[in-house]
Amino acid sequence: VYQVFENVAKKYDVMNDSMTLGIHRVWKDILVHKMNPCPGTLLLDVAGGTGDIAFRFINYVRSVRERQLQRKLKDHQNLSWQEIFESYQKDKFNSLGDSQVVVCDINREMLKVGKQKAQHLGYSEGLSWVLGNAEELPFDDDKFDVYTIAFGIRNVTRIDLALQEAYRVLKPGGRFLCLEFSHVSNPLLSRLYDLYSFQVIPVLGEVIAGDWRSYQYLVESIRQFPPQEELKAMIEDAGFFKVDYENLNSGIVAIHSGFKL
Amino acid sequence: AAAGGLRRAGWRLWRGRAVVRCQHCPPVRALQASAALRRASDEHKKEPLTSSSQQHFDSPPAGHQPEQEPQGPHPSYTGQGGQESEDYESEEQLQHRILTAALEFVPEHGWTAEAIAEGAKTLGLSVAAAGMFHSDGSELILHFVSECNTKLSKLLEKEQKLVQLGEAEKKPIDEFLRDAVEARLRMLIPYIEKWPQALSILLLPRNIPSSLSLLTSMIDDIWHYAGDQSTDFNWYTRRAVLTGIYNTTELVMMQDSSPGFQDTWRFLGNRVADAMAMSNTASQVQSTGEAVVQGLMGAAVTVSN
Repeated sequence: VYQVFENVAKKYDVMNDSMTLGIHRVWKDILVHKMNPCPGTLLLDVAGGTGDIAFRFINYVRSVRERQLQRKLKDHQNLSWQEIFESYQKDKFNSLGDSQVVVCDINREMLKVGKQKAQHLGYSEGLSWVLGNAEELPFDDDKFDVYTIAFGIRNVTRIDLALQEAYRVLKPGGRFLCLEFSHVSNPLLSRLYDLYSFQVIPVLGEVIAGDWRSYQYLVESIRQFPPQEELKAMIEDAGFFKVDYENLNSGIVAIHSGFKL
Repeated sequence: AAAGGLRRAGWRLWRGRAVVRCQHCPPVRALQASAALRRASDEHKKEPLTSSSQQHFDSPPAGHQPEQEPQGPHPSYTGQGGQESEDYESEEQLQHRILTAALEFVPEHGWTAEAIAEGAKTLGLSVAAAGMFHSDGSELILHFVSECNTKLSKLLEKEQKLVQLGEAEKKPIDEFLRDAVEARLRMLIPYIEKWPQALSILLLPRNIPSSLSLLTSMIDDIWHYAGDQSTDFNWYTRRAVLTGIYNTTELVMMQDSSPGFQDTWRFLGNRVADAMAMSNTASQVQSTGEAVVQGLMGAAVTVSN
């Protein structure tokens, strides 16, 4: 698995766009909207190498924070100029409201690409990049508010261990969110999807990234991955409550959500 | 999976069995929330825990911290059957507590997921727990409405007991209705600024079934305690009239700026009086109609003779 991602790291984003025809951006947006984070949330994004989820999270929190500040200003209409000035000072340096993202990935190359992207796009605060294995996270217990793993959990050898680690590092009340390719229930769509996956994607892989085998592996790992209900049972086994899933594009991807209560 | 099963089994108490020690995995720390959850689920249990030297489960006040849980797995005498229902109950209890805690943040944040997140924080949970509820705060509002209705029922029941014990006079119907509606509307006063927002959310198609059923059950309650025993069409008219009075008074209250909401209470009194007068008028019309018919019959008999 390591080698697969070492090879694809640089072309990862380009391949994502071409394989999914850009819809993966929408999926990731939906994930962050479902999370609905408020300022002050601590997010752990596992297998989030190139930082897609992390950047979306930061954008979301920033806009929520802006709205919060605007509302506070509206309520403070009767303050003196001095007080308004002071509140501006205090809040200006807090545009994220103490929210933080820790991006964890097993692959150094992916993290490198992510850091470069962050610099390029101008994300400076609230981001940390950590090298780590999802089955054995280098974090203490009860640390994070939200744990996300987007298109990463199928690459983990022992999914149950990863889920247990997720349970461990989450605070009580914390949320587990998993965005992953899943099983399509509609038979017609399923045939079309199979056709597309096995015929088109490896070819794209060869043309764009120069790597047929990695993308062949990718498509096969998607087929091998447990379906929605099975994954839901595994998440419940790890100790999460209120586990639920939402199919996007009628099952091509699914978002699983669970709470540590 | 076995550890997960054992952990879930640890939630359950067998009736009449000796000791079930809850166990959690990893056993190092007592999770405040899972302990809270356990506390909440134990509130439901009929039997108290026996011989639990390690745990305190009696009279759990909100901020009470349980002691360190015993370490390592313990044998539990429970089966897997009925696990899901027990956990589901505990989740509901926890959600209930989060929403109650969230109410005090409503004046500041409105009926939003932010208020729920703040409420979860006060219970020691992560702010992400607000994700359990819908992002527009509907559950919070519905929870608040149902709590108010429960409070109203208890109030009316207490008053009824006083009347039954002879310690209070039985109120005439219009005064009873007026007092009941006023008591219920007064519960809105702390949240009055954000209440219009709540009303609009309650009118969303998704929420209409629940909000409507809460409203009708409250009106039912009031009429029940007012002593309504009717089984005919009057049942519907009475409820429709009182619903109309309640809704219009609520709307008046939204934009009432008089001290102590005097205008609202005056409006309410007038509407109740109107309703009483209307029912009087209806019966008067009926008796007048009967009298007129009788007079006509008499005239017809006289003429025929």
